[in-house]
Amino acid sequence: MSSALVFERPTEHAVATTVDALKKSYGDRAVTTHAIREQHSHGEGMQDAGMPDVVVFPETNEEVASIVKFCNQARIPVIAFGTGTSLEGHLKALYGGVCIDMSRMTKVLETNIEDLDCRVQAGVTREQLNTEIRHTGLFFPIDPGANASIGGMSATRASGTNAVRYGTMRDNILGLTVVTPDGRIIKTGTRARKSSAGYDLTRLYVGSEGTLGIITEIQLKLYGVPERISAAVCQFDELPNAVNTVITAMQMGIPMARIELLDSVQMDACIKYSKLEGFAAKPTLFMEFHGTDAYVAEQIEQMKSITGDFGGSDYRFADKQEDRTKLWKARHDAYWAGMAYTPGKQAFATDSCVPISRLADCIAAAKAEVDKSGLVCMIVGHVGDGNFHVQITFDPNDKDERARADRVAERIAHIAIEMGGTCTGEHGIGIHKLDALKAEHGEAVDVMRTIKKALDPNNVMNPGKTIPMR
Amino acid sequence: MKAPSLFEELANVLPRENLKIAEEDLRPYECDGLSMYRALPKCVVLPEDEKQIAEVMRICHAHRVSVIARGAGTGLSGGAMPDPNSVVLSTAKMMKIIDIDPLACMARVQPGVRNLAISEAVSQYGLYYAPDPSSQIACTIGGNVAENSGGVHCLKYGLTIHNVKKLRVVLMNGEIVTLGSDGLDSLGYDLMALMIGSEGLLGIVTEVTVKLTPKPKLAQVAMASFASVETAGAAVGEIIAAGIIPGGLEMMDKIATEAVEGFVHAGYDLNAAAILLCESDGTPEEVADEIARVSDVLRNAGATDIKISENEEQRARYWSGRKNAFPATGRISPDYYCMDGTIPRRELPRVLNEIERLSAKYNLRCANVFHAGDGNLHPLIMFDANVPGELQRAEDFGAEILELCVEVGGTITGEHGVGIEKINQMCVQFSPKELTRMHEIKHAFDEHALLNPGKAVPTLHRCAEFGKMKVSQGKPMPFADLERF
Repeated sequence: MSSALVFERPTEHAVATTVDALKKSYGDRAVTTHAIREQHSHGEGMQDAGMPDVVVFPETNEEVASIVKFCNQARIPVIAFGTGTSLEGHLKALYGGVCIDMSRMTKVLETNIEDLDCRVQAGVTREQLNTEIRHTGLFFPIDPGANASIGGMSATRASGTNAVRYGTMRDNILGLTVVTPDGRIIKTGTRARKSSAGYDLTRLYVGSEGTLGIITEIQLKLYGVPERISAAVCQFDELPNAVNTVITAMQMGIPMARIELLDSVQMDACIKYSKLEGFAAKPTLFMEFHGTDAYVAEQIEQMKSITGDFGGSDYRFADKQEDRTKLWKARHDAYWAGMAYTPGKQAFATDSCVPISRLADCIAAAKAEVDKSGLVCMIVGHVGDGNFHVQITFDPNDKDERARADRVAERIAHIAIEMGGTCTGEHGIGIHKLDALKAEHGEAVDVMRTIKKALDPNNVMNPGKTIPMR
Repeated sequence: MKAPSLFEELANVLPRENLKIAEEDLRPYECDGLSMYRALPKCVVLPEDEKQIAEVMRICHAHRVSVIARGAGTGLSGGAMPDPNSVVLSTAKMMKIIDIDPLACMARVQPGVRNLAISEAVSQYGLYYAPDPSSQIACTIGGNVAENSGGVHCLKYGLTIHNVKKLRVVLMNGEIVTLGSDGLDSLGYDLMALMIGSEGLLGIVTEVTVKLTPKPKLAQVAMASFASVETAGAAVGEIIAAGIIPGGLEMMDKIATEAVEGFVHAGYDLNAAAILLCESDGTPEEVADEIARVSDVLRNAGATDIKISENEEQRARYWSGRKNAFPATGRISPDYYCMDGTIPRRELPRVLNEIERLSAKYNLRCANVFHAGDGNLHPLIMFDANVPGELQRAEDFGAEILELCVEVGGTITGEHGVGIEKINQMCVQFSPKELTRMHEIKHAFDEHALLNPGKAVPTLHRCAEFGKMKVSQGKPMPFADLERF
């Protein structure tokens, strides 16, 4: 249906002119030092070479608009940068260009307690937001682990450990301010909780990974801080029992705030890395309950009866804030624990997500692939919503290991798609999952490409990402 | 020459009885729930499967004939109103529930399945489909997707967009695409979100995978009386600000309760200027806890009386009044006009006051009965179309309410859609910049602008005529060559 997207690397002259112009306008907020450009060329995933030519630090919507407009006219790529925690190569400057770093746009613009919402600039991080609104008794729940910026989380449609209760960014954004490639500043959505007026532009920009425009402000839903938060850990002898516990809990409608699975290898790594005491290297569920005292007690009772049926251990509770933080930090550090567990190795993580009725089959099939490969792999997942990651480690100098690692990842992705799921539940596409998009969506990719062309005719917004060029 | 060949081609791909051409067969399709606008289509097609839909679309595309999708025809904004040059595509013959996965809490259904039929079919597994528009007994899931429908319980359980996982869609050129996924998230641009609420302008939905919700063990309603509409409005904000998200939070003013009480005898306090119905659902412990907290908040907010439903029968009775508010209003007024503006909750007292003022200004009664928790207003403007000038006054009154909603940061339609009814107000809510983005999206899906022409998204032209937008400012109109639909 639609022809290929094209982008040609800008000429050296065009780049030099752009850099000069930006330096003139932004002074020391337009930086060309190697160190800063290198820092802005990658996220936390595998490092991909490809540096921007200049990094600019705008402070207002109007500044972002003027940079984008200038670049669009000069056909120079524009890549937005939040905190650099993405995993799929979203930030790599494939064709050089201008990186717009949002870290100077960090104001919480308004908080509306009765409406349970707030408006923030894109550079606000989720921890900063929660600190600033603490006095209101409200909080913003989405927690992808990293202290990411709200703009970055919106652009990649992030989710995290408590998506099972609070949804993903998709469910928690009421509206946006977006700078479009031609330098216009548009507002999408309203402060009303629902709207059926016009197309849902908000959700189109959410998850578009900077390829349609730059998100500069976000209207977010907030939630009341629960009266009581209780975290608990339960261990199992067998992985399938842990998985089936989750499936049963979800089917019974127990409103878990978080329910995370760690397999025995991952647990071993976490015990060693985060110095967790009193746990065995066994399949483990980390759980969190939110609600009033009575309600939390009731949820825990229900959960205990399920884990009991599946041979789970007694619970270890963490009710105090410090204990909970330690527990969840251990969970969030799982990736680094995995790296420390296998010194000298490199790793990447798969991101499968399947309907929960297929979760047990999918994890078992993934585990079988892992065992067959002979590689050290760790399984960890937000299993309440069917999402899990296999961290595959390999020796970067051993070609055979690298090939086996790629094969395992490919097999696991394929299994998830076959089961009606997706091979990226939350990390996004960037440059690493472009083929997966084609495999999953076929003809719909044509429509996406047509939309990309319609909204960014010169293909200057993060070119080469998210939508396959052809 | 062209017209007969369209019919011939359609007749080749559809069973004869599923192609309606005679005027008496077209008459039932002349309007939807917004019955003041009527027209007969060129023909009506009733395809039985996705393949037939794709064929119909391919043929219409080749003939450059526009297509208007229709579910049960319960829409309130004229989204399914025909046009003499269009083919109406009804999904009435696609009513199969394809499969139910109780473990994953989801079901795959055809677009013509009724909203309530889904809940009935999955009830045996202890599940239900949460969005519950008042028309749920009749309206179809395909129509719900087109309008992003809500209902009484969407405050807690979300709108259609939050309860649909995957769609199969036939595009105008006959291509079939799958949007969304059975998993938590799907790759790439969120085209499913664009499709939901697009009012039949982007494609024809042929299959919907819905999310199912476990039925709560218990539900109880607290009914609170207030001495003024304003204090009731403020109490809504207080409940939410206390961190309580009730299963439903509805408000009715005195005009509405009086109308209803004579009709269904729901047991409402007729001395109150306004009542709030606040439902709590979940396990018995959770409900007891929440009802106690809600009662405290309501009392502190100035409730003069609070009643708690003691059993299922009483709960149903409290709700029956709310659910019958529209027909009850029909009993006391020859005609009424239902609005759908939605505002940030804390603006409720101000907007309700303003509506009262406008009611005096236009000399028309207005009942307020609405989804207070969402800030979704449904003012029912009562008038008599047989009295010269009353219809016009009602429309002006309505338009002024909608403009007020936008002014306080809200939207002209929370759940009924734009259709033809609110197309002018779209020019108030969106600037040319945003409308241009919408036209670009329309163009990407439907370059010849054949799907549901003239609805939902106004042309910049139209807005210029409506006089609310300054298109020129010395510059040429942007995208002047874009399609006009």
